Amino acid sequence: MMLRHFMPILTVIGMISPTFVHAEELASPTGRILLTVSGQITETNADGVAQFDLDMLRDLGVEEVQTTTIWTDGPQVFVGVSLDVLMDRVGASGSSIDASAINDYTVQIPLSDAVDGGPIVAFQRNGNVMSRREKGPLWLIYPFDSSADYRTEVIYSRSIWQLDRMAITQ
Amino acid sequence: MSPSDDHIPPVTRPKFLTGSALVAVIFAVCVGVIAILAQSVVRDLQMLEASKSDNIQWTLSQAEVEFLEFQATLRRSSEPVDLEKVREEFDIFYSRIQTLKNSPIYSGVGEDSVYAISLGSAKTFLDETVDLIDSDDSTLLASLEEIENRASELRISIRTLASSGLIQFAEQSDQQRSNVTVALLRLAAVSALLLGALSLLALYSTAISRLTQQRGAALAEANVRMNTILSTSLDGVIVSDTMGRILDFNAAAERIFQRKLKDVKGLPIGEVIVPPHLRKAHDDGVKRMNEKGITRVVGKGRVRLEAMRADGTIFPTELALQSATSGNTQIIIGFLRDISSRVQAENELLNVRDRALAGEKAKADFLTVMSHEIRTPLNGVLGNLTLLDDTALSDDQRRYVDNMQISGQLLMEHVDTVLDIARFESGKVEMIKEPVHLGNLLQGVVDGQGGAANSNRNMIKWAWVGPEIEWVATDAKRLQQILLNLVSNAIKFTHDGVISVEAQADMVNETCATVLFRVSDTGVGIAPEDLDKVFEDFHTTDATFGRQVGGTGLGLGIARRLVESFEGEFGVDSTVGQGSAFWFRIPLDLTEPPLRVTEETKPAEPARKLEILLVEDNKINQMVAQEMLTNLGHRVRLAEDGQKGVEAALAHRYDVIFMDISMPVMDGLDATRQIRAADAPWSETPIYAVSANVLASEQQRFLAAGMNGFLGKPLIRKSVIAALNEVSVVDPTDLTMRAAHGKDGMIHTMAQMRDELGDTVYDLLKDRFLGEGNALAVWLENGPVDMTEMANRCHRSAGSAAVFGALGFRDELIALEQAAKAKDVTRVASLVPNALAEWAKVEAVVQD
Repeated sequence: MMLRHFMPILTVIGMISPTFVHAEELASPTGRILLTVSGQITETNADGVAQFDLDMLRDLGVEEVQTTTIWTDGPQVFVGVSLDVLMDRVGASGSSIDASAINDYTVQIPLSDAVDGGPIVAFQRNGNVMSRREKGPLWLIYPFDSSADYRTEVIYSRSIWQLDRMAITQ
Repeated sequence: MSPSDDHIPPVTRPKFLTGSALVAVIFAVCVGVIAILAQSVVRDLQMLEASKSDNIQWTLSQAEVEFLEFQATLRRSSEPVDLEKVREEFDIFYSRIQTLKNSPIYSGVGEDSVYAISLGSAKTFLDETVDLIDSDDSTLLASLEEIENRASELRISIRTLASSGLIQFAEQSDQQRSNVTVALLRLAAVSALLLGALSLLALYSTAISRLTQQRGAALAEANVRMNTILSTSLDGVIVSDTMGRILDFNAAAERIFQRKLKDVKGLPIGEVIVPPHLRKAHDDGVKRMNEKGITRVVGKGRVRLEAMRADGTIFPTELALQSATSGNTQIIIGFLRDISSRVQAENELLNVRDRALAGEKAKADFLTVMSHEIRTPLNGVLGNLTLLDDTALSDDQRRYVDNMQISGQLLMEHVDTVLDIARFESGKVEMIKEPVHLGNLLQGVVDGQGGAANSNRNMIKWAWVGPEIEWVATDAKRLQQILLNLVSNAIKFTHDGVISVEAQADMVNETCATVLFRVSDTGVGIAPEDLDKVFEDFHTTDATFGRQVGGTGLGLGIARRLVESFEGEFGVDSTVGQGSAFWFRIPLDLTEPPLRVTEETKPAEPARKLEILLVEDNKINQMVAQEMLTNLGHRVRLAEDGQKGVEAALAHRYDVIFMDISMPVMDGLDATRQIRAADAPWSETPIYAVSANVLASEQQRFLAAGMNGFLGKPLIRKSVIAALNEVSVVDPTDLTMRAAHGKDGMIHTMAQMRDELGDTVYDLLKDRFLGEGNALAVWLENGPVDMTEMANRCHRSAGSAAVFGALGFRDELIALEQAAKAKDVTRVASLVPNALAEWAKVEAVVQD
């Protein structure tokens, strides 16, 4: 069933070229660390890992995804970093991402999911930075409404919330 | 020309439409229903595929796990206290409950359900605890025990939440599956229905298709048949539109007109087949039909016209045009037949017929000429014999003269016989009825044949069988001829025997009888196989015997024709060696005896000496006639040809003119016409034709030329006397006397009669005269139309009137007779009153 919905409400707010970002060394986080990326990455700012606070994530270039989810009531506006951009920034070279939540819930996400127009690592919902009680600090949001391909149980299971770690694996 | 009109069953379009419409409706409904159901199924499947369900079991159990972890953290937090961990676990649990609370997936559960109540308890716990969690560490620390207590109270609810949720969502899942099943079943049912409908449609289409095929095949077959008929038709078939442009031209037409369809298609038919001289008429006809709808040939059956081939030859054709409607357009179909051969055959037949008729005419002409050419010299021979007989002869000389006369008469009879045939063949023989005494007639026949009978030593006799009848009105000469032929035939074939003539009358009514005449002999008889042939022309029973007895073989043929002219019947019975009996039966009208009985029985001497002009070129005939007339006491003047005859007739008054017909310089007819047309005192002198030509048609010509009567050649003394008697009464002295004395003259004549005849006979005659005159007057008053009868009766009564000296009446009757003979009805009608007036005078005188 190829009922793709080609009306994604997907707006690029800021567009910063990844190559341009690449040029710089990954800065060290100054605020509370929201995300730690480990494993097969080339860019690090700590002990073999790349750590990001909210500002660093914002600096990667934010993207807005407007979509409904099966866990929320009504249309939601999510703002975050494209997974594609994030993986590019850390120089991920594996095939899979082991994404873990605060409570250690872990899902395996193929690196191939990280595409332009694909999932974002959201830190803001409906204009507010997401608290832990509201599935913060980070929630991997696929643009569910943009394609039926994103409305599958597998994708739902990959939409990990209360995300705080990522490990890039082979 | 479409054959569909006659041979193909009309297509029942309404039925077809109804059927297809029905199927279309079923089809549309099915498609609609399927579309709706499919949409529903797709939605359901989409729902299944889009799986909004998340992993419910996991989520619910996770809620319990996370609650338990929160609870565990609380217990562990007694020492050392990790408040941040407490907060984290609270937040995780809070998030989970929020998810359960907000997610649409979990919202379908009724508020009264155990699940909803449990969830409400959890929410209440969170709402009551969140402030404590969010307070500073010391406050939280102080509240931990209370939180733990509250959590312990919630423990059961969370357990219930998980378990009831599982059941609840399992039921939901079941319901959803069931819904999909029902939708699929419906879809399957409707699909089956559609399949059925499609099957029906397919069957119906097949049936329609087969029917169409059959019709198509029938149509094709009819077309093939029609084409075969058209192409093999011997008649040319040309189809054109109403403007005369050729649409089709079959093989026969190609053959007849030496044109090919491809060459003439679309051309005006007039240019292709109509000859130039008929083209305007053709174009006018086409125009007339198109403008006024008037057709003179179309639909009017077969017409014979002329047509033209490619090489310009014109030939006769028989044409029939019909108009027909092909689709929306009117077409004209022409069937043409080349009838050249037929017309040729007809012409040949006509020629043959004309030749045959010409042959017949030639035969009649030949006979006419022969009659003249033979009879003229024969006339001379017999006339001279008659004269010779009157001279002083020795006994031997007289015997020779007698023999010559017998031979001459025999030759004349043969010629007459042949001429009789010619007369009958010409079909112009008129029946002249006059009173005849049957007994006298029979006696005369027997007497006349007595000599011939004696020569074969036969006895001849006649007798009535049964009652006798006396006077009949009939053509005596014909009746006599029949009897003569039969009797002479009987005599020929009988030796030393008896010829017996019998008459037998069957009265039909008072005025009419059927009389059977039978001529029987005791001769050789006729073989049965010859009986049918004896009445045929030129039949002789045996060539040798026929030669022996002589004869033309025409006698019985003539008798047969004569009997037929009487509308009678005839036959023959015969036994070989014993004899034959020829018989005929004819109807006869009974009549009163005529007044001129004395005159006829006693040929009178001429009443007075007549001045006669004889116009005759033949010297011998001149001499014979002159001698005969002179011997009768008349004076004769001669004219040698018609021209001289005219001059003589107009120069001097004659009582009668005897006029030959065939003469040099001017023939008798022209001479007569000139005399009649001349403005002279003597132009009305009676003229008698003297001719060997006895054909009735010729005699008509004589009368038409203005002649008064006819005498056959050779001149017979008796006929001459009769003719002279007719003219002698027209005496200028009589006219003078009548003019002077009228009634007195008549009284004088009657007195003379009485003296001569005696009172008894005179009274008898007078009564008959009155009876006859009155009968005629009554008859004339009734406006008779039979001109022949009129002429006969007037002629008869004119004679009677003359005897009584009723000359005025007689003149009127003669005028009437002549008008009647000329069939001049108008003149007859104008003369009848005069005759009646004259009769009234005569009757008055005679009565006195």
